[in-house]
Amino acid sequence: MVQSHLMPWVAVTTPTGPGSSLEVRAFVAATLLVGLLTIIMWELRHIFLIVNIALLYLLPVLTIALRWGIWPAIYAAGLGVLAFDYFFVPPVLSYTVADFRYLISFAVFLAVAALTASLAGTLRRQTHDALRRESLTSSLYELSRQMAAVRDLETLLDEVAQHVSRTFATPVPVMIALPDAHDQLRIAARTPVIDPGYRVNANVLDWVYHHGEQAGFGENKNTELLYIPLKTEDKVHGVMCIGEYGLGTVFNPEQLRVVEALAGVAAVSIARIHYEEEAKLSHLMAESERLRTALLDSISHELRTPLATIIGSVTGLLEGMDVLTLLDQRELLVTIREGSMRMNRLITNLLGMVRLESGMLRLNRQSNDMADMIGVALRQVQDALARRRVAVNIPDDLPPIKVDDVLIDQVLTNLLSNAIKYSPDGSTIRIDVTFSESTMTVSLQDEGIGIQPLEAERLFEKFYRSPTAQHIPGTGLGLAICKGIILAHGGTISARRGSPRGTVMTIELPLEHILIKEQES
Amino acid sequence: MIGARILIVDDESQIRKLLTVTLQAHGYATDEASNGHEGLVMAEQLRPDLIILDLSLPDMKGTSVLSQIRSWSNVPVVILTVHDDETDKVFALDHGADDYITKPFSMGELMARVRVALRHVAQSPEEPVLTLGHLKIDLIHRVVERQGETVKLTPIEYDLLRVLALSAGRVMTHRQLLRQVWGEQSYESESHYLRIYVGHLRKKIEDDPTRPRLIITEPGVGYRLLAPEK
Repeated sequence: MVQSHLMPWVAVTTPTGPGSSLEVRAFVAATLLVGLLTIIMWELRHIFLIVNIALLYLLPVLTIALRWGIWPAIYAAGLGVLAFDYFFVPPVLSYTVADFRYLISFAVFLAVAALTASLAGTLRRQTHDALRRESLTSSLYELSRQMAAVRDLETLLDEVAQHVSRTFATPVPVMIALPDAHDQLRIAARTPVIDPGYRVNANVLDWVYHHGEQAGFGENKNTELLYIPLKTEDKVHGVMCIGEYGLGTVFNPEQLRVVEALAGVAAVSIARIHYEEEAKLSHLMAESERLRTALLDSISHELRTPLATIIGSVTGLLEGMDVLTLLDQRELLVTIREGSMRMNRLITNLLGMVRLESGMLRLNRQSNDMADMIGVALRQVQDALARRRVAVNIPDDLPPIKVDDVLIDQVLTNLLSNAIKYSPDGSTIRIDVTFSESTMTVSLQDEGIGIQPLEAERLFEKFYRSPTAQHIPGTGLGLAICKGIILAHGGTISARRGSPRGTVMTIELPLEHILIKEQES
Repeated sequence: MIGARILIVDDESQIRKLLTVTLQAHGYATDEASNGHEGLVMAEQLRPDLIILDLSLPDMKGTSVLSQIRSWSNVPVVILTVHDDETDKVFALDHGADDYITKPFSMGELMARVRVALRHVAQSPEEPVLTLGHLKIDLIHRVVERQGETVKLTPIEYDLLRVLALSAGRVMTHRQLLRQVWGEQSYESESHYLRIYVGHLRKKIEDDPTRPRLIITEPGVGYRLLAPEK
């Protein structure tokens, strides 16, 4: 087929059908145009000079050349000469030419027509090429733009497959195979199957993957699938298979170039995602390493210190029964009690952390009274509170709140313990509860050492200990657990410096409205 | 009730030793069982006055030991649990345990639980007026006085206080309170009424309702009316 290279194959170019019907349409159009012109000229033959008529016959030639290219134009020129000769050159209505000078005119006319047609044809091809290049560029641009936004491999592969499939005038089937953990190629993305007849050949796939070169292969006589390696400079990341069924023909060199360019963009995007994942993984590993070290440091220190006082006191008691006064003995016993309480708190916190992190935390949400929960927390720390003043401010019409009371108790107790730990004897701890349509806010203010402006966020990180509080024992777990529990309830917890001094811890919990009828007989 | 006989069922020998030494020092006689089956056999043979039962035993579930004991005896049972298993605690309490104590516990707490549990068996229910610190409850006239002044209670508030006071010192689960105050057909989903009425009651009988000293909340379990020990 002569004009097959002019076929539009990029989806955005002129919407025309397959080649042969296009050809027919061009020649039919040429015939019609010349015929129409002839009829008009016949009617007006007394007004125009014969020279004018000859020139007017160039019009259909130009039109056809611009629209369909050189060959239909030359056909139009030939047809024009014949019509002009038959209808207008004397003797009229015969092919006989009386004046032989007309033969020269015909030759000139044909030459001019051919030249015009070929110029117009070239112009048309150039426009067409420009359009095609622009379409290729925009296709590549579109793909790379899409790829840049994608963060996970699965979506990326899907988008590549879809895009490649849509690039051609007729959608073609596309599959992308990537190696799995054992370096075995697996189909990771595919467009909906258009022709169920094609099959990916595993051997060809493997060969292309390991050699990094493209190949075409079909089970039968013809090439069914084109296997294109997705490679960057140093590595083959996978293989893209493209079916040629959609076009009914093999890809021409230009189409191949497009496919290769798209494969290149895809390969770079896949490589990018791989690198991102690797970077994330190594960051995670470094982070877990840091946490492990912190955990070991914290546990060994926090367990050993009270253990040392317990073992010391107990051995002192056992060995010194006769020399120690009753008062001394009592003193040692109190030390033992405090040491073991501290170990108990640490273990409770560690278990709490493990439960939160392993996702074993199950919320047992019941409608609860915040005032009651604050009362329970205050009771938990009542011995330590003996040397603090406590101001509790709770509105009378406080609505019930759906929370897990055991866990919220743990949060309140942790916050209260902190407030006591970091504030001086005789100072006041304020607890304020407020509520709005959608949230309940509990804030706890102490008059203690306060926090540094930049550590408000870090306070809630696991094992974080404020540099200003290193002299006070602690694991850096309490607030992390509080945050975990509050987040599990869909709430927020934050810390800020109090004014004029101290720390304010604020919990916000979502308030679901529970309709309660005050019914009493 | 000095001289009462207490059976300890726990697989940890150190805990048994600790309990034995302390209980004997307070004048109780003790027996030890190290697993559930042994505990059941000894409970039947020795007929103890009280059983301290660990919920996590090596051979069988503590709750099934409890229900087997309950099938033939009303002996008071105080259960020992570890932290973090409120469901087990509540299950045991709803199925006949008298009280619970969480490991690690202080001896003072344990002795208080034991005393309360033993007292409830010995108590004659006909006492018409209960005195709890500066609170006086006249069960016949349904009158409550606080420091000599009459406290106005709604019928439900009064019933709630009466049920808690009759079991003074002992934990009452949400379900037990709902059943005894609202009746058998009450649902656990109504437990928010319970919380509301406890709140109302506290405002009327506590010195500082935000830091209650009489009606104590046991998170996830229920309430306990603390009777000042004489």
